[in-house]
Amino acid sequence: MSAVKKNYVVETLRKAQMVELLAKGKRVDGRSQDETRALKIETRLIEKANGSAKVSLGNTQVIAGVKVATGTPFADTPDRGVLMVNAEVLPLASPYAEAGPPDENAIELARVVDRGVRESEMVDLSKLVLIAGKSVYTVFVDVNILNVDGNLFDATSYAVVSALRTAKMPKFEADGEKVANTGKLMPLPVQKTPVSITMARIGSIIVVDPTAEEEAVMDARITFTTDDEENICAGQKGEAGTFTPAQVMEAAEKAIRKGRELRSVIKEATG
Amino acid sequence: MPLITRKQVIPGDVIASGDYRYGSYIEKRGSDYIALRIGLAEVSRDGVKLIPLTGPYIPHVDDQVVGKVIDMSGFGWEIDINSSFFGYLPASFVFGREFSPATHDLSSKFKVGDLLLCKIEAFDRSRDPQISIRGPGLGKVPEGEIVKISPTKVPRLIGRKGYMVNMISAQTGCELKVGQNGLVVVSGPPEGILKAANAIRMIEEEAHLADLTTKVQNYLGAEAQGGE
Amino acid sequence: MENKKKLISDDGVRTDGRRWNELRPIRMEVGQLKNADGSAYIEFGKNKIVAAVYGPKEVHPKHMVLPDRALIRCRYHMAPFSVDERKNPAPSRREIEISKVIREALEPALIAEDYPRAAIQIFVEVLQSDGGSRVAGITASSLALSDAGINMRDRVVGCSSGIVDGQVVLDLNDTEDKEGSGDMPVAFMPNLNQVTLLQVDGIYTPENFRKAFELAMTGGRMVYEMQRKALLEKYFGASPSETAMEEEE
Repeated sequence: MSAVKKNYVVETLRKAQMVELLAKGKRVDGRSQDETRALKIETRLIEKANGSAKVSLGNTQVIAGVKVATGTPFADTPDRGVLMVNAEVLPLASPYAEAGPPDENAIELARVVDRGVRESEMVDLSKLVLIAGKSVYTVFVDVNILNVDGNLFDATSYAVVSALRTAKMPKFEADGEKVANTGKLMPLPVQKTPVSITMARIGSIIVVDPTAEEEAVMDARITFTTDDEENICAGQKGEAGTFTPAQVMEAAEKAIRKGRELRSVIKEATG
Repeated sequence: MPLITRKQVIPGDVIASGDYRYGSYIEKRGSDYIALRIGLAEVSRDGVKLIPLTGPYIPHVDDQVVGKVIDMSGFGWEIDINSSFFGYLPASFVFGREFSPATHDLSSKFKVGDLLLCKIEAFDRSRDPQISIRGPGLGKVPEGEIVKISPTKVPRLIGRKGYMVNMISAQTGCELKVGQNGLVVVSGPPEGILKAANAIRMIEEEAHLADLTTKVQNYLGAEAQGGE
Repeated sequence: MENKKKLISDDGVRTDGRRWNELRPIRMEVGQLKNADGSAYIEFGKNKIVAAVYGPKEVHPKHMVLPDRALIRCRYHMAPFSVDERKNPAPSRREIEISKVIREALEPALIAEDYPRAAIQIFVEVLQSDGGSRVAGITASSLALSDAGINMRDRVVGCSSGIVDGQVVLDLNDTEDKEGSGDMPVAFMPNLNQVTLLQVDGIYTPENFRKAFELAMTGGRMVYEMQRKALLEKYFGASPSETAMEEEE
């Protein structure tokens, strides 16, 4: 119900309170530095989609839907299926969001999440070919953000991963030059569970899973995605601030450790 | 003692039929009195009243509000007062009549992010609310925590003649500055702030219950005894 | 001659097992989005729709400000995964038209004069669509507007009816909408007895038109009661109560 400016202004007193608490290893919502918020994952809620997942990470709420069809492969990868991740911060998600085509933040969000899924080879795209060079499965994952309270990167990633893990796609068969729907359903060729962990640097402290308030005062942000072998398969530093090399290594270590924790949570929710 | 009928109503509900005096959030249609909001309706021989449980803050002249400085131009500060309009605090109200942008630096007084306890000086349907800090206790808030509640719950938080807010203050050792716009600044000892914040949230969640005063009393009283 | 599939069996059973005057299962929830000033979620058969309200708030761009009342805005949008064939996220002509009719369905209920120079923004986001999404969206929007505390003369409720295999039926599902011979979404304010949305698609004899219209209103009144329960439950945790009490000091 308020008039709003472009950006969220955190009260100076509140920022001082946050910094004071951080010096003692605590955050304003009672969490410790490395603690993530409560994570809820609900899958298979949109029957018309081949796969879907609704994720709440604290108050950040997102919903992902998977649609699988057939189409032509990309010219440079004729022997692989198509996978595309798209994200949209719905204007109803925050007083600061506007309707319209995705802005640079939404595009960065979609591309970073896409890279995490793609580089980890979560979905074996080579198994999504029907007629090499001509006809492949096309997997579209669309994410709609319903409520913004920080860390859209991780919430979006968990929703995409959960939706892909629980999707049921139509099975097609090549019939000469054409492909036909057999009417049967099968899971996607999923072989990995990449986990994204996003951190914010506030002063000299690096906190995991920032809220919108913490993002409003942070100096810089970093996201690392790890795969089941605990390799880092994607990373992105964001915002105009910096990290020292030591802080980068600290963040990478946290991403591996928390990634391990959250991988079992996601696997259990989507088993 | 005279009787009041209390009813839980939602928009479109008929609260009463007949001939009554009536207040805000109610529309008279023929002899029916219709609720325009979700709230608690009261019908007594004094009339039909509706206490809303949800809704925005609409500024009124002389309201005390807690505002946040979000921008400044050469001639004043733009204040977020949690309404559909930003408030405007003219630099001349703070620096005096001799104010000139060439010689006075606005940020020497208030910066973006500062919280102000201020007053709605002027507001009408043709312009944005004008803010002033003229008055006892008004000005920059130097310390404390902010608790945000729905503006419709502020009367309950204050209580009849300040009973509720004074009780919270006394039992927690904290000072509470209540803005009509739903922002409350709580300052004092850390344990006191925690108790006060909890009491405020309790009032927000249970404003519609009749025995709220007793509940809050028990919460605060019991805590105080336990601490001894 | 093509053998057209029957949408209603000989003993009056529709494709989803309902009879001619039965509503689909409906579920309503209020206030689940933290940032919006008001919100609601509705399931109307397979429709899954979120409605959210922001307002009163500042008008952007400034030149659109109305001096004596609020500017009402509405955006109806379908998620790409909400329909059988993935839909491009960019707004289609259909979505733009529906945004307009939903706004015009809700505007008569809002007391816009109470919020001069401000804007009230309504969002209807369809997560899954299965026929009748606009009337479900209107129903959810009324809940969201009530949740936001915008002054309303009455709640608006929506319901559709149509013609399937020559019969007038209530609340069309997606199959009936696509393969039937008539679709009529209706929205109205029951206490004021005013119709705020009416769209007619198909061929109706005057008799069928009257039947279909009245059926939609009857269905709408049932949905109106469900709205009431959903709001009371969210705000008071129970069914409506009325208590007589002594006057406080």
